Amino acid sequence: MLFNLEISTYLDALWETAYMTIASTLFVFAIGLGLGSLLYATDKDGLWENKTLYKILSTVTSALRSIPFLILIVLLIPFTRILIGTILGPTAALPALIIGASPFYARIVEIALHETGSDLKETGLSFGATKLQVLFRILIPESLPALVRGITVTAIAITGYTSIAGAIGAGGLGNLAYLYGYARNRILITIAATVMIAILILLIQVVGDLFVKKLSKKY
Amino acid sequence: MITLENITKQYIGSKDEIALNQVSARFDSGLIHGIIGISGAGKSTLIRLLNQLESYDKGNIQIFDYTDLRHLNKESTRMLRKQIGMIFQTDHLLSRKTVLDNILLPISFHRKITSEDKKFAQDLLQEVGLSEYSTRYPEQLSGGQRQRVGIARALINKPSLLLCDEPTSALDVITTGQILQLIKATAKNHSVDVIIVTHDMYVIREICDTVTVMDKGRIVEHGDLDDILFKAKHPQTQAFVKEIGLDLSSVVQQFDPKELLLLKFDESIVKDSIISEMIQTLSVTASIVYANVTPHRIGIMVIHAPKRIDEIKLFLEKHKVVVEDVI
Repeated sequence: MLFNLEISTYLDALWETAYMTIASTLFVFAIGLGLGSLLYATDKDGLWENKTLYKILSTVTSALRSIPFLILIVLLIPFTRILIGTILGPTAALPALIIGASPFYARIVEIALHETGSDLKETGLSFGATKLQVLFRILIPESLPALVRGITVTAIAITGYTSIAGAIGAGGLGNLAYLYGYARNRILITIAATVMIAILILLIQVVGDLFVKKLSKKY
Repeated sequence: MITLENITKQYIGSKDEIALNQVSARFDSGLIHGIIGISGAGKSTLIRLLNQLESYDKGNIQIFDYTDLRHLNKESTRMLRKQIGMIFQTDHLLSRKTVLDNILLPISFHRKITSEDKKFAQDLLQEVGLSEYSTRYPEQLSGGQRQRVGIARALINKPSLLLCDEPTSALDVITTGQILQLIKATAKNHSVDVIIVTHDMYVIREICDTVTVMDKGRIVEHGDLDDILFKAKHPQTQAFVKEIGLDLSSVVQQFDPKELLLLKFDESIVKDSIISEMIQTLSVTASIVYANVTPHRIGIMVIHAPKRIDEIKLFLEKHKVVVEDVI
């Protein structure tokens, strides 16, 4: 028992938050990488320069990013109900988390690929690489440290989102802090949930840094 | 042989400036060709047409067995590019691959890498003087070493043509000399034609056989190195030549051209003391008014001989010196 609440309740909440964060981060990595690559490739000096397509993709990305997360969850309720079958629990939070965070990560990917740059694109093409080879064999591998740094930042942002989702029915530490802590006026539980989220975020940062270090360390 | 006929190119979005304006040129096999011009003259664009990193609007290019490069399909374009190695101003190496993997990269775009490829890469690495560095990463190398890796990488697909886009602009003077000699030596070893783009007359003088001078999207002068160095006509060319301290015309003006002889000699006789021998044997007076003797190239000298110039000419020609009139 901790502050009159079973330890297992805390652990369950921690697990739910971790699950929401990890599962949606995996999806966000894949979707963001795809969307970000498309944004880079269709932009000026990209591999498949296409002004119209870039404008459409860019506008959609910006529009999705501009929707406040709480409103996004509400907007997605019908979609979530069809896809997941329920709008309660951690899994039901995934669509909103993924749709909310993917455009954010896509922009990071886009920037990283631009930074790696036109020089290497030209180099690859000059040796007879196809455009796909340039993207997958040169630009993405060269950008990997930046992409990992980006997904770390994104995962931390997602952890923040999970607590918003938690407060309205997704469970997890946000739910613990809001429902058990705030709503029942037990500040210590709120603090305990906050500390656990902070530890989780620190952990993500440490793991991310470790990966970057491993990727950058060559000799 | 590579020929360009009336090539015109305009970049999209730039209304008035034409990148290349009615450019025609011919680059013969077995030589090192230099293209010189100030920034924006169109020289980088010109070599990028050859491997179709840039396209052109009008005209025709003939290279290897390819004609009409504009209408090549994707696969042919890739095959064309495979036959053309390229070296860039900065190394453009992949920072996350070892030196050896960087060299092998161009092969990997076309097929699986075999153990023979690895052997060849290692040989190339030895040729550029970096055999100990195969497992290092680019950031562990100096600028000159990275450029050496770039040269090895450009040769891995056994190209017939090597394009060098300002290959030494980011290097110091001593390293520049080394890299240029390396390009020359490897080009000879692998029977590769070379086209070097530069804004530095020193680069041209050091290794080029022919020179093309570009200005504002046009070729303003084209010829063998000696013609460009000593008989430049266009003001832009003359300005480049002056830059490296060669200004034959101002020297020549002080003399009667009939009393001047232009001597050319290669390294085989550079150690013979022909001039002093000539003065002793013929007991004539002759003074050297101008000389440019670089160890790797044909030496040039202008002598002023007020008397018996025909005898002098005969004597020198007997000693394997090429004698020409000045201008």
